[in-house]
Amino acid sequence: MIDVKNLDKHFGENHVLKGICEHIEKGEKVVIVGPSGSGKSTFLRCLNLLEQPTGGEVWFEDVNITDPKCDINKLRQKMGMVFQHFNLFPHLTVLQNITLAPIKLKLQTKQDAEKNAMRLLERIGLADKANEYPSMISGGQKQRIAIVRALAMNPDVMLFDEPTSALDPEMVGEVLELMKELAQDGMTMVVVTHEMGFAKEVATRILFMDEGHIVEQAPPEEFFSSPKNPRLKDFLSKVL
Amino acid sequence: MNIIPLNFFNEFYDGLYKTFIEKARYELFLEGLFNTVIIAIGATVIGVLIGVIVAILKVYTSQKKANSLIGTIVQTIVDKFLSLYLTVIRGTPIVVQLLIGYTLIFTSVQNGVPIAILIFGLNSGAYVAEIVRGGILSVDKGQMEAGRSLGLTNGATMKSIILPQAIKNILPAIGNEFIALLKETSVVGYVAVVDLTKAAKGIQGVTFDAFFPYLSIASMYLIMVIGLSALFKKLERRMARSDRR
Repeated sequence: MIDVKNLDKHFGENHVLKGICEHIEKGEKVVIVGPSGSGKSTFLRCLNLLEQPTGGEVWFEDVNITDPKCDINKLRQKMGMVFQHFNLFPHLTVLQNITLAPIKLKLQTKQDAEKNAMRLLERIGLADKANEYPSMISGGQKQRIAIVRALAMNPDVMLFDEPTSALDPEMVGEVLELMKELAQDGMTMVVVTHEMGFAKEVATRILFMDEGHIVEQAPPEEFFSSPKNPRLKDFLSKVL
Repeated sequence: MNIIPLNFFNEFYDGLYKTFIEKARYELFLEGLFNTVIIAIGATVIGVLIGVIVAILKVYTSQKKANSLIGTIVQTIVDKFLSLYLTVIRGTPIVVQLLIGYTLIFTSVQNGVPIAILIFGLNSGAYVAEIVRGGILSVDKGQMEAGRSLGLTNGATMKSIILPQAIKNILPAIGNEFIALLKETSVVGYVAVVDLTKAAKGIQGVTFDAFFPYLSIASMYLIMVIGLSALFKKLERRMARSDRR
């Protein structure tokens, strides 16, 4: 589903991604872990071109999205993204946040979009917040609504960029719970996170990144029980 | 004992009569008021249009690198042109701009009002552009990313997500700009337009009474400014409803 070929990213002098090759299958739940500054977020953001790669190619559903002729806006509709700081639109109500893109992109009529949004809100138990503004709800609720906003586009893959890092500890659980449900529904997911428990429970594969390389990858049991790379051993001894 | 107040009222009535009633001079005030208002409104519309467009272009050219040679050249030319516009307009007095417009550029236009509208619009546009640009930059970068990640284009994200938040942030500054503009129109007398100020000056010239003409136009400006302030207060309150906690 996603094919990354020799992905390179420079920020000026800073070489952040050093020729990454990776293949992600439909239905996989790939969790990316690693120390800060290792390039995990940059890698994730290159998948939907929020960062423009300086070299290499990214293919999504057999389309080369790094080709300048490719209509990236069309493809992004199929790639949902969830951010560390939620990035809800503060001037719109919860319902408008969810329905904005489907309506503006003429994918659904206003009525259908609202019906769909209410169904999603009911699913996460926040239907009563539909007409509230983001400033009135908690961080955990914001992030769950951000997830639902991405889901309203019926994406084929969901990208999560440290979705729980900005949350109060007691709100992390509700967000992870929703992500687990999503995983059980068969959504293809790529998750950058520090939540090792989530990685262990949900991931089909864990990637460990360090200094712009994917230095080790394995299914969760193997990843945690028998790490091979010394840098990964060191990392796990600190976070577990 | 009674003579002084009686005299005062007599003079008061006399001044009032000479300034407004005699030879239907109130018509001159009305004409001036009409021109002042029409110039202020027209210039505001032009100023907002120019300001928003220039601000978006400025933000766009400073943030995004074009991916072709022609794109880069166009971008550089546009950017240089906009900088020139902002520098020249903000670096010269409005009276001088009016005089240049009236006596050098639009020499064939007899009516000064459309020229004044255009020049004040161009002038105001430069200030509005900088205010709007600041407003756009004040919106969190994540908002643009969130919009783009949903598949919205750069322009659609700007229109539905960034600008509404930017405008909310800059509303007080924009209000100030419009109030300043309204008062600044009082210099259009330089290019033979009869606005409020010119009307008062003309009447003072024939009646030799400065008291009534100037104090009455001062109160007219004041009332308009108070109305404008109230309008912006209302707008601000309306746009702040998403902030309620």
